[in-house]
Amino acid sequence: MKQNLKVLICDDSILIRKKLRSVLEKCKIEEIIEAENGVIAVELAKEHNPDLIFMDIVMPDKDGIEALKDIKAFNSETKVVMASSAGTSDHLKEALANGAFDFIQKPISLESVTLLIEKVLKEESANV
Amino acid sequence: MFSQYFGHYLLNRGLITREQLADALEYQKTVHVKFGVIAVDEGFMTTAQVEEVHEKQRQMDKRFGEIAVELGYLTESQVEALISHQKQSHLYLAQALVDREYMTIDEFGAALNEYKKENSLSDEQFEAIRNGNIDALVQQLLVSDEEKAAKYGRYLSLFAKNMIRFIDDQVYLEVSEDNNITPSNWLIKQDIIGAAPLFTGISTDDQTLLYIASIYAEEELTQVDAFAKDAVSEFLNLHNGIYLVNMSNWGTELNMNPQQIIENASISGELFTVNVVTAKGTFQLVLSDDTTNIKIESAAGTQTV
Repeated sequence: MKQNLKVLICDDSILIRKKLRSVLEKCKIEEIIEAENGVIAVELAKEHNPDLIFMDIVMPDKDGIEALKDIKAFNSETKVVMASSAGTSDHLKEALANGAFDFIQKPISLESVTLLIEKVLKEESANV
Repeated sequence: MFSQYFGHYLLNRGLITREQLADALEYQKTVHVKFGVIAVDEGFMTTAQVEEVHEKQRQMDKRFGEIAVELGYLTESQVEALISHQKQSHLYLAQALVDREYMTIDEFGAALNEYKKENSLSDEQFEAIRNGNIDALVQQLLVSDEEKAAKYGRYLSLFAKNMIRFIDDQVYLEVSEDNNITPSNWLIKQDIIGAAPLFTGISTDDQTLLYIASIYAEEELTQVDAFAKDAVSEFLNLHNGIYLVNMSNWGTELNMNPQQIIENASISGELFTVNVVTAKGTFQLVLSDDTTNIKIESAAGTQTV
């Protein structure tokens, strides 16, 4: 079973990136990359090919849904989890319709991230 | 939270001074509410009866409730009710004010009745407010203006809850009559767009910004740097996101733009402004549903939202 996931955090908030990084470190994730908007996230996703991406929705330059579409277009296997405070039914529907792996509601808790990592690891091992 | 409101009511009526209120609010954290204060507050006993029980307590090793029941002033079920009411926050304020000799129990009771009468509160409404029902409290805050209550009531009620949940459980809100926001150090704004557009902003000085940022970021921040500003901005974003989810559940789908931080900004337009008083300073929550007519002026120039 693959243990070391490569994770990309995309959020325009410095605080959220810091908090999410700390939660991921507690989950023993060693390789963490950060992006502050959708444009940079797409570039970094192409460059590093992460296993999992945490993607905010409301961001300047390129929002999370647009970035999700771009990332899925060049690698449909990448798991993108939308992480937003605005988990409205429209956002959920749009995210899932565009291939999002999951959706977590902010504020982000250690518990929700841990469950998600377990889910990703299970899927990764099933695909090996 | 009610103790903050009632404390400010006492302050506005000149019944206590600002210093006394601040002292009592600080002191109430350590206070043990005595049975007699609650019994008078509930209207179960008179002050004279409480004094009589206290007198007897000095002579015998018995609890207040036991003696009051023996004297026929309280029933067993009233004693049980008083025990469960012992944790109501405004009682801590009452006890603090009495302990510090800023007011007597009688004066406090009279002011409480006056508050109820002035605000035309039914017993049920008063109970709800006293028990910390935020919706009832915000409804009361906007009672004189039905139009504003309809426009901003839900938003404000959720904001109060999120302030309590994430920042400061002793927060106090007051509606400001000001239609212009003079420059404060920082304006953090976010536009909600869609069927029910709303301009939302937090206008704050450095000290209050650092207070909110430190609590929200869960670390002591002393510099108004990008991280501190981001923390407050993220709090507004989180709150607005939750508002969008609530509105979505009520059938209105909305969206929001990314937040913006503007230095030394003054705002004009059809504004609804609420002063949000925290333990370490006041900021203004600025709202407007007339989003097309808002003007923001700052050192960087004028912009129309």
